[in-house]
Amino acid sequence: MARKYREIGKAGWGYTAITSVVGFIYFFPVFWIILTAFKTRTDALAVPPKLFFTPTLENFQSVFFRASITTGTSQATDMGLYFFNSIFIAFTSVGLALIVGTLAAYAFSRYPLKGNDTYLFIILTTRMMPPIVVIIPIFLMFRLSGLAGSYWGIILLYTAFNIPFSVWLVKSFFDELNPEIEDAARMDGATERRVFFNFCIPQILAGLSATFVFGLILTWNEFLFALLLTGVETRTVPVAMARTLGGEVGVDYGLLAAIVTLFLIPIFFVTFLLQNQLLRGVTFGTVKK
Amino acid sequence: MSDLRVENLQLNFGAVQALDGISFDVAEGEFFCLLGPSASGKTSTLRAISGLESLTAGSVHFAGGDVTEAPVQGRGMSMIFQTFALYPHLSVEANLAHPLRRDGVASSEVKKRVGEVAELLRVTHTLKRKPGTLSGGEQQRVAIGRAIVRRPKLLLLDEPLTNLDAKLRHDMRAEFKRLHRELGMTMLYATPDQLEALTMGERVGVIRDGKVVAIGPPRDLYQAPSDTYVAQMVGSPPINFLQTKASSDNQVTLPFLDQPLIAPGAKSGQPVTLGLRPHDIALASSGGAPLRFNAKIHLTEPLGDVTVIDVAAQEAQMKMVLREEVAAKYSVGDAIEIAFDPTDIHIFDQASGARLGAGAQS
Ligand SMILES: Nc1ncnc2c1ncn2[C@@H]1O[C@H](COP(=O)(O)OP(=O)(O)O)[C@@H](O)[C@H]1O
Ligand SMILES: [Mg+2]
Repeated sequence: MARKYREIGKAGWGYTAITSVVGFIYFFPVFWIILTAFKTRTDALAVPPKLFFTPTLENFQSVFFRASITTGTSQATDMGLYFFNSIFIAFTSVGLALIVGTLAAYAFSRYPLKGNDTYLFIILTTRMMPPIVVIIPIFLMFRLSGLAGSYWGIILLYTAFNIPFSVWLVKSFFDELNPEIEDAARMDGATERRVFFNFCIPQILAGLSATFVFGLILTWNEFLFALLLTGVETRTVPVAMARTLGGEVGVDYGLLAAIVTLFLIPIFFVTFLLQNQLLRGVTFGTVKK
Repeated sequence: MSDLRVENLQLNFGAVQALDGISFDVAEGEFFCLLGPSASGKTSTLRAISGLESLTAGSVHFAGGDVTEAPVQGRGMSMIFQTFALYPHLSVEANLAHPLRRDGVASSEVKKRVGEVAELLRVTHTLKRKPGTLSGGEQQRVAIGRAIVRRPKLLLLDEPLTNLDAKLRHDMRAEFKRLHRELGMTMLYATPDQLEALTMGERVGVIRDGKVVAIGPPRDLYQAPSDTYVAQMVGSPPINFLQTKASSDNQVTLPFLDQPLIAPGAKSGQPVTLGLRPHDIALASSGGAPLRFNAKIHLTEPLGDVTVIDVAAQEAQMKMVLREEVAAKYSVGDAIEIAFDPTDIHIFDQASGARLGAGAQS
């Protein structure tokens, strides 16, 4: 069969059309939410839904400042703090998990123990467990140890939950490296520390970026633990969002949409920043070079 | 003076015994080749010598001292890896500079030496590029450059030509000889290719299942192989083996010969293997070779300048080599009268494969 290989980057119209449709189906809800964020309350609830309207920044304003019902003056909401919390907690714990996970992955990959695979499997099973199973003991532990409601408590927990994933993913990147490169560095006179930092790490930067973004997305969206284990001071955006749902004045969809839109930005930004690395990372090196 | 001496190297990977008592020594400035098929233990030997692998038993003496327990860093050896193992994230220049930087060479001196080595290996135009953008031959030369830039006392080479195409291999063989001559460093070169070992090695160690089974200059290995294994490892096309029995003490017969051969060392009734190199078989008409017999051509393989011809004399299958213009006169199925000199016959014990006598007489 003499079928010509299509050049990369030159998909036919058929493929392009199908991809566009699928992409549209996935992106439409997101698009609608973003649109809603710019609508007035009446526009947001209009039936049939409005595609064309006069955009307003009202909703974004009321995310951070709201007129007090009693005095009528503008008051700062706590949303700024919650955004800070989400960013601080997610970045710190995913960063910590990546550091610990990378060191562990290097050890598992280069200095295998007796029963290495068993350890790796056990580490993975902790991740397979549905969080709901462990929520009660963890809740009690946090209450007793005073970690509940503190930054360190939730950061520690998220770090622990991200480590298995980091170990597995990063190990697969180390496994793919040519060990002769490390040996060459050793023969050149590089110490073990230098081999790790100057020769192994630079080769898996793409993989590390991918691992970081995956962990970040999971942690960023986490709701259950955040709901139970964060306090007034450490509340994250998903929890705060849930709280705006149940008000005596009904759901303010415009406000909610504005929060969601803002909530998308950091992840979008990080993904965009790391997109080149990410593509190589998620394909596990199959599109290397 | 021996520069490198390894004694009884033993190396196990779990249940796999990679090295089973390797011993040999290499003189200062010598080009020594380790010849063996895949999985025979060549890489393991080089890694054991460099310290990348820790030995189960045995010792490595180098430059007058016992380095068995010495760390990899600072043994004063360099290695060229089969995969080249260039640092993909560094420029060619940084690749070449790395060993010098680790040695603490001043950066002006580093620049000078990197420049010299790049010049020597003709990779100056690639200095700013990443290894991934280089051709196979250029990568190979950078790998050589990185290994020699610090002027090591010993250069270990692990199948450096296996990943190159045929034309480059030919050029690089000459290149290695030139480097050896110009730099005068001791070289230990592992290869599965007998041609490389015979053309480059001043001495060759033949390795089999983690043991060195023969050591000697290429000429000796070719002319007086110590056993059937060595005999078929060196020489191309490979040596012809003929199985027979000694008809009486010091005498064997071959069905297609009308007279017996004198085989010193063979006991009456002992099964023996006779070895006859394709190049030692000639046309009877060319004269010179006294033992003549008739054979039939089965297959011809033209290689350009010469043609390898498969012949059968009764049951016995043999290969011989003729110059192309001579071979052109024959075709498959033709009868051919050929001849050899009995002193070219190698006699081995069939059971052990060991060489029996110096050579046959008629
Ligand atoms: N890291 C390793 N783990 C397990 N077995 C190995 C390892 N390295 C080599 N071996 C085994 O040791 C033997 C010799 O291998 P090697 O030295 O690489 O041979 P060569 O270089 O001649 O092909 C082979 O049987 C190989 O499978
Ligand atoms: Mg090898």
